[in-house]
Amino acid sequence: MTRREVLKRSGAAAVLLSGGGALLDACSKPGTVSSGGAHANGPGVGSYWPAGSPYPLARQDAPVTWKLWREPIKSGLAPEKGATLQIYNWADYIFLKVVKEFCAAYKCNYQITTFNNMDEGLAKMRTGQLQFDLFFPTPDVLGKLITGKLLQPLNHSYIPHLVSDVWETYQNPFYDQRWHYTVPYVTYTTGIGYRRDLIPDAQIRGMSNPYEIFWDTKFKGKIGIYDDYREAISMGLLKNGLTDLNTGNPKYINQAQQTLISLINAVNVRTSINGVYIGIPKGTFDIHQAWSGDSVTSWQYTPVQNMKTWQTLGYWFPADRKGPVFNDTITIPANAQNPVLAHHFLDWMMTYKNAMLNFSWNGYQPAQRQADPATLTTTKGYYGEPYVFPWLSDAVVRESDFHTGYFEEELTPQVDQLWHNAWQAFNSG
Amino acid sequence: MSKTVSERPPVDRRREGPAPLARSRSTKTPLGWWRNPWRRPRILATITWGYIAWSLLPVLIAIGISFNAGRSNSVWQGFSTQWWWGHPQSNPSGALFVSPELHAALLQSLRLSFLTMFIAVPIGVAFAIGISRWRGPAPAGANFLMLFSFVIPEIIIGISMFLFFTYLLKFVHLGTGAQLLALVTYQVSYPVIIVRARMLSIGREYEEAATDLGASPTQAIRRVLLPLLYPAILVSFVLVFADTIDDFITVRYLSGGSSTEPLSVKIYNYSRGTLTPAINAAATFLLFSTLVIALLGVFLYRRITRGQRAEAQEMTGYLT
Amino acid sequence: MNILPRRRSRDEASGAWYPRWYWPGFALPGTLWLLVLFVLPFYVVISIAFGTVDPVFQSPLPVYEPWWWTKRYLAQEWHFATGEFRPVELRTIVYVILATAICLVFAYAVAYYVARFGGKRKGLFLALLIAPFFISYLMRMLSWVELLQPNGYVNSVLTFLHITPHPINWLAGVPFTVVMGLVYGYIPYMILPLYGFLDRIDQSHLEAGRDLGANRFWTFLRVTLPLSKPGILASLVIVTLPMFGDYYTNNLLSGSPKTTMFGNLLDNSMEATGQGPEAAILVLFLVVFLMIPMLYYMRETAKAQRNQ
Repeated sequence: MTRREVLKRSGAAAVLLSGGGALLDACSKPGTVSSGGAHANGPGVGSYWPAGSPYPLARQDAPVTWKLWREPIKSGLAPEKGATLQIYNWADYIFLKVVKEFCAAYKCNYQITTFNNMDEGLAKMRTGQLQFDLFFPTPDVLGKLITGKLLQPLNHSYIPHLVSDVWETYQNPFYDQRWHYTVPYVTYTTGIGYRRDLIPDAQIRGMSNPYEIFWDTKFKGKIGIYDDYREAISMGLLKNGLTDLNTGNPKYINQAQQTLISLINAVNVRTSINGVYIGIPKGTFDIHQAWSGDSVTSWQYTPVQNMKTWQTLGYWFPADRKGPVFNDTITIPANAQNPVLAHHFLDWMMTYKNAMLNFSWNGYQPAQRQADPATLTTTKGYYGEPYVFPWLSDAVVRESDFHTGYFEEELTPQVDQLWHNAWQAFNSG
Repeated sequence: MSKTVSERPPVDRRREGPAPLARSRSTKTPLGWWRNPWRRPRILATITWGYIAWSLLPVLIAIGISFNAGRSNSVWQGFSTQWWWGHPQSNPSGALFVSPELHAALLQSLRLSFLTMFIAVPIGVAFAIGISRWRGPAPAGANFLMLFSFVIPEIIIGISMFLFFTYLLKFVHLGTGAQLLALVTYQVSYPVIIVRARMLSIGREYEEAATDLGASPTQAIRRVLLPLLYPAILVSFVLVFADTIDDFITVRYLSGGSSTEPLSVKIYNYSRGTLTPAINAAATFLLFSTLVIALLGVFLYRRITRGQRAEAQEMTGYLT
Repeated sequence: MNILPRRRSRDEASGAWYPRWYWPGFALPGTLWLLVLFVLPFYVVISIAFGTVDPVFQSPLPVYEPWWWTKRYLAQEWHFATGEFRPVELRTIVYVILATAICLVFAYAVAYYVARFGGKRKGLFLALLIAPFFISYLMRMLSWVELLQPNGYVNSVLTFLHITPHPINWLAGVPFTVVMGLVYGYIPYMILPLYGFLDRIDQSHLEAGRDLGANRFWTFLRVTLPLSKPGILASLVIVTLPMFGDYYTNNLLSGSPKTTMFGNLLDNSMEATGQGPEAAILVLFLVVFLMIPMLYYMRETAKAQRNQ
């Protein structure tokens, strides 16, 4: 699979490797672990800590501060020489030119290993077969990673550009207060991608509930949603006017499930992962649930490369900026062989110049202060085109979105099961 | 309104010959044509040729598309080799022989196929020989096992192998080793079936003749049975190679990362999304390498059986 | 029927001395391999199906000791199997039956023609019929995906011949496409065994039927068809059983939940999170389901062999 398909394939991401020593529990009933003992000894501090969960769950209104389970590396160390930087990332999610420039500057080699979904990523991390220097998780699996001691705390002295270049909110994100373990990678919103020549902008913006465009039978057979249970059911919830994208209320989930199932009969909906940047330019889809970055970059995939075809690509996000919003993170695994180099790489990615170069190729917007959202549609990027075409202005992410937007965060196992059941029911047709 | 028999003028058979065929017996009328038991089977022939065209034409078109000058996978836009070794514009995966990712996948495909071929076929042939001659209740169980592993949907083997290697045999890391073990497990029944079918038609006479003439069991097998089985063994090699190089179900679950994904998995991943003629080029290359191995097999077969054919000619020459 | 007096075993009659372990020795590597790498993984699958999950990572924890097995996930999945999954199960069965029936009709026709009327061109026919074995399933499906695109050649031909007024979207969850895809994919596996069996039918049997007064239709029905029954059974087993686990045909030819097959449930649970026990249980369901026709087939062939 290519390019940043599944950013969040897991709500409560599971790893397909058991904890070590399972075989040694032959004498005791398996699965019993002394979890949730005294919360004071837990891996972090947060006000939302459901019973039975080994760690607090991060929410916007219940931020989590993770404890340092070991000391970060010392300050002032020299970067490792002649090293090979091991990057573990989603497939096609980072511009190779940026990595090459870093390696030229720090005289190192690089090797990128990719995963297709977060399960796979976590599984490989836990085996310890390869010691990665950099790992790009979504924030909702941080609890697992930190409780499992798979990440190392960061030494901020190596990463001054986060303070100077990155949005202020990321110095204290709710999922990792005081950025002990993470730096933000890219931000995105989830909206609707559509063909501007078939649906005028004014039409979709004039609708009282634009999510209803998915039910427009005029485009029967050409409508798609993401093959991701969190995104799809969230769309159902939003269409029904609900805003809690982490709800455990069976009634709401059921409603969303019925909403999605009605899509099948109404418009013959299909699921895909790259329907936005592959399908819409190609004509396979006319309307598709879209991540902002996918829409921004879809111009590179049109069969004919000219302004006229690029103008057919559209993106909608609620005008009041009340929709799904989130970001990815970069972390350093605990067993990294080149931690100093990794810290320098984090700083490299936080620098305005490199982050914007990545943006030109990636389409996903970095949280850079100097990237004035108002100018992104006019400033030209690496390829000589604006970072974001003017007619895709809804895809621009603003810092304020993180106050108005909704987040898809980690769920308790029971709630996650409810979501999975709803998704299965939809998928069974 | 024909006249009754008694009303018809008497026929002089000596002059006019035997009575002409009744209308329903004539092969020139439609009904007669239909009922003729010796007519050429035009309907079946049409069906067969139609099937062959339906079966092979889409593939030929797909091979053609790999030389497409544009980016479309469905419409011909002119001839070009850009997807094979050129530099197609704005293509994320690049041309087949140029892109490092597809290059690595290609090598992995060939590596897995050759290794599987050389492991699965000997085990399978030995099993076939053993099962055909073994007497007792146990062979039925082993036979059932082999047959079941042949017809079982591959996804079941894929999933159970994945769970097996990640939970029990953890020292086998996901990657080439695990893929190899799973592929051999899935393919080992293929040679068994081919060789057993051949052994059934050979019969036991040759071996018995050899042992009557004083050969030890091993000699009988090595010098009599195996040479007779060479065609079947060669066919097994080729078929196992063909099957493995196209396999994507098992190896997809067991790949240890992007670098151990063979070309077939890449084709599967890309065909669900980024369809470019480069995928056609990759699939055509797989087909091409299979053809090469098949031709090699035919060539080896003719060389090996050349001796047998020459001897057969000698013997018949001696007898006449 | 064997009317001769029972002889000593053939080995004794020929005078050769085979050690008792000789033939089993040949079969040993294969049997061991299958036991370790085919049967043992099923035990792991069962352990996971009846196991539990790791509290931190929600990963499945296999429970190898039978006395600790929990039925929790089994009960849950059984609830699904009889509830939400029922449309999928029914649909899979319908697709497989349809596809197999179509395959059988055409495969038999082609095999019959080549076996009986192939004549001098039998080699050529065989080469053309074996060709699909060398072409990967993916490539064959891919060719159709490209032909069935809205702007592909199928639609061009259909609109040119005015069979359809405007291009049809064949790849948007059309059950016809999926069933035809299954037929296209599996029919070569049916033709070859059928050909093998039909080839072996002695022409004299058919002529005897003709001599006794049966016309073509009855000869076929009373002579050819019963003689080819083992061939039909074998080819059915080779084609139908793998079709139950097919998921990629649906994935490639239709992205819609309307045509989900059972194999898709398996594949989705592998890619989803926290669904380890579910994947294991679905595997077990499918294996148990497929054992039944398998055992029936073994019984039939054993009976046929005894009758010979």
